[in-house]
Amino acid sequence: MTERAQLASQVPDSEKERLFNEVKADLRFGDYLYGCYECGICVAVCPSARFYDFSPRRIAQAVAREDVELVWEQMNGEVWECSQCFSCLLCPRGNNPGGIITIMREVAVKNGLHSAQQALEGYTRIIYKIMSTGTQVSPDMIRPEAFPDWGPTAKETADNLEVWRRAMPPDTMHTTSASWEVDDKTLTELYLIWHLSGVLDMIKALDESLHMILVDVMEEKLEEAGYPLS
Amino acid sequence: MSSDTLLIIGGGPAGLEAARGAADLGCKTILVERLSRLGGTPISANYAALTHGMRDASEVMGEMIAAVDGDPLVDIRLNTSVTACSGAAGDFSVTLTRGGTDETVSVGAVIVATGFEHFDPGRANQQYGYYMYDDVLTLQDAEKMLKEKNFVRPSTGKPPERVCFIQCVGSRDRRIGNEYCSKVCCGVASKQAIEIRQLLPNCRVFIFYIDMRMYGYWENEIYWPAQEKYKVSYIKGVISEIVMKGDRLMIRGEDTTMNRPMEVPMDIVILSNGMEPSGGTKAIATTLGLRQNTYGFINVAHDTLDPVSTSVPGVFVAGAAAGPKDLDDTMGMAGAATMKAVGAIRRMARGAAIKA
Repeated sequence: MTERAQLASQVPDSEKERLFNEVKADLRFGDYLYGCYECGICVAVCPSARFYDFSPRRIAQAVAREDVELVWEQMNGEVWECSQCFSCLLCPRGNNPGGIITIMREVAVKNGLHSAQQALEGYTRIIYKIMSTGTQVSPDMIRPEAFPDWGPTAKETADNLEVWRRAMPPDTMHTTSASWEVDDKTLTELYLIWHLSGVLDMIKALDESLHMILVDVMEEKLEEAGYPLS
Repeated sequence: MSSDTLLIIGGGPAGLEAARGAADLGCKTILVERLSRLGGTPISANYAALTHGMRDASEVMGEMIAAVDGDPLVDIRLNTSVTACSGAAGDFSVTLTRGGTDETVSVGAVIVATGFEHFDPGRANQQYGYYMYDDVLTLQDAEKMLKEKNFVRPSTGKPPERVCFIQCVGSRDRRIGNEYCSKVCCGVASKQAIEIRQLLPNCRVFIFYIDMRMYGYWENEIYWPAQEKYKVSYIKGVISEIVMKGDRLMIRGEDTTMNRPMEVPMDIVILSNGMEPSGGTKAIATTLGLRQNTYGFINVAHDTLDPVSTSVPGVFVAGAAAGPKDLDDTMGMAGAATMKAVGAIRRMARGAAIKA
């Protein structure tokens, strides 16, 4: 029995049905899926389909046929192989397979599905950066070992990061741990948004240790603002 | 001496429309119907809603009958068959037989509108067990229940939870000898699928097909709503066999686009049986000496450019007697055949007048 089949047998049908209904209940769903000719034009234009055992047709088909079991399987695998380029909008029926995948991914993330955890594993550092600083990348991410293709430039840049940053005209750029300096008021608002919109909860479902670190970072400012995290 | 009367054989949609058209043109018409009432197959086979347009079949046929019934130019002969014919265009001598009594009439032209019959799924083989399983139906069986708004499993009398259609039963099949597409079954099955979903919103409906052939507006008026609004599942693949499992039917096939074999339970299986020439069509072809194709349908002069002239001058054909037709085609053919038949009568009358 494959790992996924084993997982599938442990999840009750009612849970798979609930996740499927969550996909269907999305406001965008009605605009993303009409009916499927099963013609394969979406696969023909799909870059991911050339490299993986991935087919936007199979996704559209499974959802259109309301094949709850298969949709569940796809949410636990295939959907993460889509590059979200939306070439599949070529569909003659006006379907948007990439958009259906967007919804399926969101449902997978919101419900902390194992596949979402796996897919987002590689992005932990970026999620941490965005959520703690409001900026996606920071100069201190430049490490020679991470950018061997830069040659000696990477090392030189990394060694003298402070100096390079000070050489930039705007004051807000004189930082190495974020793309630019974010003031306290902005950070507090940002943390409030993560907190109140449920993004922190979503992170908790996906990656508990990341959640702990983020709470640590945000706690003080949120408490000062009158929104204790606990 | 040429006759100014047109003989129309068959009182279904094609014959009724031809009679109405001929009367409008001021042509005397004899309309012969083998059965005791007009209306043809839509009535005898209990059609519910017509494909497409979805109008009530009895209502539509009632209107068509009312358009000719009582018209002094249309002489309606029920319970009557055409049993012999001699002469030629402009002056046919035709024997009409009613309850063992013969009458000979003189007519100038003939329109054959003797239609089709539904393929009998037990005729050539028992692949799907139509005569074995109560819950294996034909489109006509399903249509009858849908007309009564009471769609249930014949074996239990209870509403089904899973229903499927098997397309191309008796059509596109070299083994059976019917190599043609029957044209209407895709639309009729999809229409019935919609009606089943309307009656039983919790019932899942599947259509197993080889190709969906949804011409023109059938696409957006039937196929798309069936799939998009009524969530009918269309699966490309032919079912190989039906077996009983418990008290349910188990169908076997391949879900070809998903690349996997299927073995799924159904409560009702509807065979989308196609068209064959009716007994009346085959008989009249012999009586009138009309050339038939290998399937028994009446040959026309040119399938594309003259779809209503037959191999006998002065004899025309309308509707499914000339091969599988939907109602759109049938009505168009009836008009074209009437135009040609009345035209032929008038031309010969004019010729006679000039000679005199």
